[in-house]
Amino acid sequence: MATEVEVHVNVHVHEGVGLIQLNRPEKMNAIGALTRKQLGEAIKQVERDDAIRVVVLTGTGRAFCSGADVTELSVEGAGMRTPEDVGNVLRTEYMPMLTRLRTMPKPVIAALNGPAAGIGASYALACDIRIAVPEAYILEAFINIGLAPDGGVSWLLPRLAGTGVAYEMFFTGKPLSAADAHRLGVINRLVPAERLEAEVRELANHLASQPPQALAGAKRAVVHALESSFEEALEFESYLQEAQVASPEFAEGVQAFLARRSKKP
Amino acid sequence: MAYEHILVDVEPLIATVTLNRPKVLNALSPELVGEVNQALRELDVDDRVRAVVLTGGPKVFAAGADISDMAERTAVEQLHRDQTGRWAGIAAFTKPLIAAVNGYALGGGCELALMCDLIIAGDSARFGQPEINLGIIPGAGGTQRWPRTAGKYAAMETVLTGAPVTARRAQELGVVNKVVPAEMTIEVAKRIARQLAEKAPLALRMAKESVLKAFESPLAEGLVAERKSFYFLFSTEDQKEGMRAFLEKRKAVFKGR
Repeated sequence: MATEVEVHVNVHVHEGVGLIQLNRPEKMNAIGALTRKQLGEAIKQVERDDAIRVVVLTGTGRAFCSGADVTELSVEGAGMRTPEDVGNVLRTEYMPMLTRLRTMPKPVIAALNGPAAGIGASYALACDIRIAVPEAYILEAFINIGLAPDGGVSWLLPRLAGTGVAYEMFFTGKPLSAADAHRLGVINRLVPAERLEAEVRELANHLASQPPQALAGAKRAVVHALESSFEEALEFESYLQEAQVASPEFAEGVQAFLARRSKKP
Repeated sequence: MAYEHILVDVEPLIATVTLNRPKVLNALSPELVGEVNQALRELDVDDRVRAVVLTGGPKVFAAGADISDMAERTAVEQLHRDQTGRWAGIAAFTKPLIAAVNGYALGGGCELALMCDLIIAGDSARFGQPEINLGIIPGAGGTQRWPRTAGKYAAMETVLTGAPVTARRAQELGVVNKVVPAEMTIEVAKRIARQLAEKAPLALRMAKESVLKAFESPLAEGLVAERKSFYFLFSTEDQKEGMRAFLEKRKAVFKGR
């Protein structure tokens, strides 16, 4: 056993942007027990740090994330041995992480530097915005190994792509290409690999310059609306707007608009 | 009177009682509980006040009792201190009491919210009875008020597992009236208090008493009590004012007489 702990996940914080980078390129950023632990801590860290206004999740190397580390699923592998172990990892580890990404009151961008499969696709889809390279794809490969979908995709994918596309992916186990995902609106922007970093950085920096309470309000409104009736959503929005109208962010926004200058951060 | 652990703010027609020990997450010490009771006793007889908001402020409602204070106590000590039985002031409070809950309402904090008449929750709110994880059970009404509000099975889940529920889930279970953005929780509760404050105080009092009676009595008994209150209200000036204003198509002005 090596005494030095491997670093599977890097976190860089720079000018309001928290970058979480999966760092197991030799394993296509597969998620093992250690990766899970480090990723969970990273997501908690970026959620709690008020200096971080925007989060970016990406992978190193050729893949965004190839999914669970299958070598750990076997009996010999570390950790998961029984069906209940698998369920427990989903419930106690993946669930809080994915919920945090989806609900933390700041924008979360997935930069898909390559394919996102299995639980990797779940991370990509739980983010708010996806920017991808043409070589990326989204794969729900569960059926190919005799499994049903997990990691929240039964909830996320029908909402993002529609039920027809979601079912087809779950039933066939065939990938959704970046081009198709882009056409469906699952991927917001498609950019050549050499431009991905710059494009993501530009968007992240732009969002980091936006009023944070208003950004948080937009996210909270959507999170609330997805579990609400139309009337409840309207009411929640109306209260959020009152809080915004009373905020310095709105005062500055209006003054800047009237003076035809850009907003101060 | 001056309070150490709470803030009491009286505005026209409404008052706000704020648990004010944020450093210990508004842990419900006997002193704090005593002050809440005292404040409510005073507000109950204060004619300027027709409805009250109870809150823990912007971050937390109340995260239960002070465990470090309880850990080594004996049963007899606990009996004599009667920490959980000291909520008489709330139980006897006759005006509408609205809980404005942000963040955690756990253990005694959750039970305190359940003693109120309406619960407005911020989107950050979490409700739960984690006592089971400490080898005890809820002691300030949790095992009684949860089933009366949310039904047996939701109550069992809450009390047996100790797992907290989100504001949205609590709303589904019927223990939260409205989920609002956390920064607006207290304001929304105050607005509701102001709306209630414009209604006839005696009718509010009888209405509250009647609804609470439903939890205490068989239907026939509750219906008799309701009818008596209904007829009684015809002896009030406010009933005359309310009905005349309705017929004259103007806004009623109630005086609590």
